[in-house]
Amino acid sequence: MDHTAIVSVLFASPLLGFLINGIRRNHHSANVAGAIGSLAVFISFVCSILLWIDLQGMAPDARRIHVVYGSWMAIESLKIDFGFWIDQLSSLMILIITGVGFLIHLFSVGYMSHDKGVAKYFSYLNFFIFNMLVLVLGDSLVTLFVGWEGVGLASYLLIGFWFTDGEKAAAGMKAFIVNRIGDAAFLIGMFIFFVSFGTLNIQELNSMAPTIMESTWFGIVTLGTLFLFGGATGKSAQIPLYIWLPDAMAGPTPVSALIHAATMVTAGVYMIVRLNPLFIAAPNTMMVIAVIGALTVVLAASIGIAQNDIKKVLAYSTVSQLGYMFLACGVGAFTTAFFHLMTHAFFKALMFLGSGSVIHGMEGEQDIRKMGGLKKYLPWTHLTFMMGWLAIIGTPGFSGFFSKDEILWMSFHSPRGHWALWVLGVIGATMTAFYMTRLMCLTFWGKSRVAKTLHPHESPATMLIPLFVLAALSVVGGYVGIPHIISEILPGHPANILEHWFQPIIKTVPGLVAGDPAMEWGLMGASVALALISTILAYQLYVKNPSAIERFTQKINPIYQLVSKKYLVDELYFGFIVNPIVRLSENLWAYIDVRFIDKCTYWAGDLMKGSGSFVRSLQNGNLQTYAMYIGIGLVVALSLVMMR
Amino acid sequence: MINADFIVDVGISHYLILSAILFSLGMIGVLLRKNAIVMLMSIELMLNAVNLSFITFSKYNSHIDGQIMVFFVMTIAAAEAAVGLALIVSIFKRYKEVNIRFFEHLKG
Amino acid sequence: MTADAFLFWFLALITIGGASLVILMKNPIYSALALVFTMCGIAALFVTLDAFFVAGVQIIVYAGAVMVLFVMVLMLFDLKHEVEAFSKGRITGAIKLATAGLLAGLVMGAIFYSSTAVDTVITKQLAAASGDPSKQLGMRLFTQHIFAFEALGILLLVVAVGAVALARSKGGTHHDQR
Repeated sequence: MDHTAIVSVLFASPLLGFLINGIRRNHHSANVAGAIGSLAVFISFVCSILLWIDLQGMAPDARRIHVVYGSWMAIESLKIDFGFWIDQLSSLMILIITGVGFLIHLFSVGYMSHDKGVAKYFSYLNFFIFNMLVLVLGDSLVTLFVGWEGVGLASYLLIGFWFTDGEKAAAGMKAFIVNRIGDAAFLIGMFIFFVSFGTLNIQELNSMAPTIMESTWFGIVTLGTLFLFGGATGKSAQIPLYIWLPDAMAGPTPVSALIHAATMVTAGVYMIVRLNPLFIAAPNTMMVIAVIGALTVVLAASIGIAQNDIKKVLAYSTVSQLGYMFLACGVGAFTTAFFHLMTHAFFKALMFLGSGSVIHGMEGEQDIRKMGGLKKYLPWTHLTFMMGWLAIIGTPGFSGFFSKDEILWMSFHSPRGHWALWVLGVIGATMTAFYMTRLMCLTFWGKSRVAKTLHPHESPATMLIPLFVLAALSVVGGYVGIPHIISEILPGHPANILEHWFQPIIKTVPGLVAGDPAMEWGLMGASVALALISTILAYQLYVKNPSAIERFTQKINPIYQLVSKKYLVDELYFGFIVNPIVRLSENLWAYIDVRFIDKCTYWAGDLMKGSGSFVRSLQNGNLQTYAMYIGIGLVVALSLVMMR
Repeated sequence: MINADFIVDVGISHYLILSAILFSLGMIGVLLRKNAIVMLMSIELMLNAVNLSFITFSKYNSHIDGQIMVFFVMTIAAAEAAVGLALIVSIFKRYKEVNIRFFEHLKG
Repeated sequence: MTADAFLFWFLALITIGGASLVILMKNPIYSALALVFTMCGIAALFVTLDAFFVAGVQIIVYAGAVMVLFVMVLMLFDLKHEVEAFSKGRITGAIKLATAGLLAGLVMGAIFYSSTAVDTVITKQLAAASGDPSKQLGMRLFTQHIFAFEALGILLLVVAVGAVALARSKGGTHHDQR
């Protein structure tokens, strides 16, 4: 089949789903709406697979499909097409988006079955998928930005899906506004690149990226990439703009799984990987990215330890895992960053869906202090959730292990890396193991603290099937990117498929040499051992000896309070940024707007009204008066002629 | 300016001034009279004043086209009088009066 | 004072006087009669300007047909009991008078100015027109201006039909107000 046709179907299918469900939202039953929404994404998924197979058939250096639907704008040197670029990177990305997206749609059919606005919900989800595809496939930064804004809108709509609850609507607004700050930075970055390179086409930008390193802080590439990264911190929830993501958990849980764990929040990582030649040319930017990523890992993981809402824990975990991806980008391990993006999409979507299943079974309860012992009631959910848990804490053999370990090794070994980054990464991994085990213990294991009136029940099959698929992917997803030293001891020496696949389009950092295997084994052992100790500690504290943890938190109460209140970052932002702006705006409103601008407009209006009523009095309907005007005009005209 | 010459030596200026005076008188009638029929008459007066100047120019330029113009103006004037009077008849049927203020529906 | 000059001043008196009466008479019938006087005076002025054919048409069409039409309408309506001849409003009335006066003054000023400037370039240079002026008029009218003439004929036809239609209607288009 023609590539243009496949890409058209790829885009049209979710768009049509969005339109149908959106227009007929009051006429569909929940099941019909769910079927339409899921089918739309499934068709896209099939298209993605077809495209991927086509790419497989091409020569490794020429694996690309460029579909241009026409010119969008052409203003002097600015030429932007409705063009879409499918290569090794974007084809894998759309596979993840549509594949995981389809599973989550399927899950939503069961999860949302009791809701009134199911059709609206599915239309938003399809709208999101459409925009995510635009973001990923767009061949210029502008097209990418269109998708970037579109997913932001979808995210806003879905976070505030239950908008009658003021708090949830506010969470949606918060996400939108915080993202807007990042988007402004993204736009500035685009402007910088356009001014200096004269193009916004991603491939042209990449080919124009200077081969020499830019060592200053105020070089064109450094500034431009820094601003683009600023946009990524908004979309991908990094310091300092991560604050919206935990609040975004107000939306339905499958939305959290799809948008705020698996796909949209990774857009920033995707963008950096997409533009890797530019970022490589700016070592200072990469340093900033690595530091911010590593700090985010530790900060978010530490907040995650003290959270009691099952989704909040997962949200901070997401922020932390995204930090790993940026850490990987920052040290130049773009392949690894994408690898972690992929494995994270699997296991975090799985865990969110699992938590959705728990919440569904607990009839809306989200506080893990009121759970416990759910293993008995939700056996399948527990099993699949455990796969996600094993993956995220880095159990050897599971997907998360390969990707996270690769990131840690690269952060130590890469010429752009540093031992301090590795230390931060390992601390993060240790904390991850602790809070994830805590989550498992408090939710599924130990004594039941469920209210007597509540009868937890296992979820229906439509919700369990996605869990199984994602659990399987979480386990085996890592085998596409086995690190070299591990493959050497495995029978058959399986190659690092992902690295091989990306080799033509992803550059490596200059100066990267083969590492010392002994060192790599040692560091890997250290991080695994630390994670294991922390897991056991958490298990001991939360299952075997719950009173100890209470005494411990009592003892360090101030710190515990600080952490559980998220280091008061929100309050800090409110105190130093939001409130001053609000006060300034209030003053502007009271003095400038009301007293000056309003007055001016009223005055202008009164002037018009006054002159209007004067002119109206001239038109009094009297024929003779009109004739008099003609006469006066004649006299004036004649006098003018005479005076010359 | 007004001297014996002016009285005795009648020329183009005299006719044109007469035409201007007649035109202004007609204009006063149009502007001031309430009766629509009298207004129509005043319009005829203005048209005649213009005709007079046409004929004057025709004579003093020795060009016959001025008279042709007058011929046309007369025809149009007759037509206008016919239509105007028909309108007035129509108004009279309605209001039993031909006062110009009945035309004030165009008020803004 | 020559006969020509005397004739002109006499006719000027008649026309101006007639015109004044037209706009001053309260009774429209008197106005109409004064207008007939004016028309006849103007026709006589045409004769002094050697426009004999137009003078004849003036008498026949204006003083005859048009004025008869006016008088007939007036007779039909019986409008002699008019109390207020002039429309209301002192200030607007003054402005209207001033406008008309200014206009006349301006035109006269223009005439004086140009007649002294051009002086008597064209005064009295009465080129002896070849042949009868009426014949000349007819020749030009039916050759050069034949299209305009025919168009006028059609216009008159339309006007005749329109006038009949208007006069037959039951008074305006606002039927509901009655």
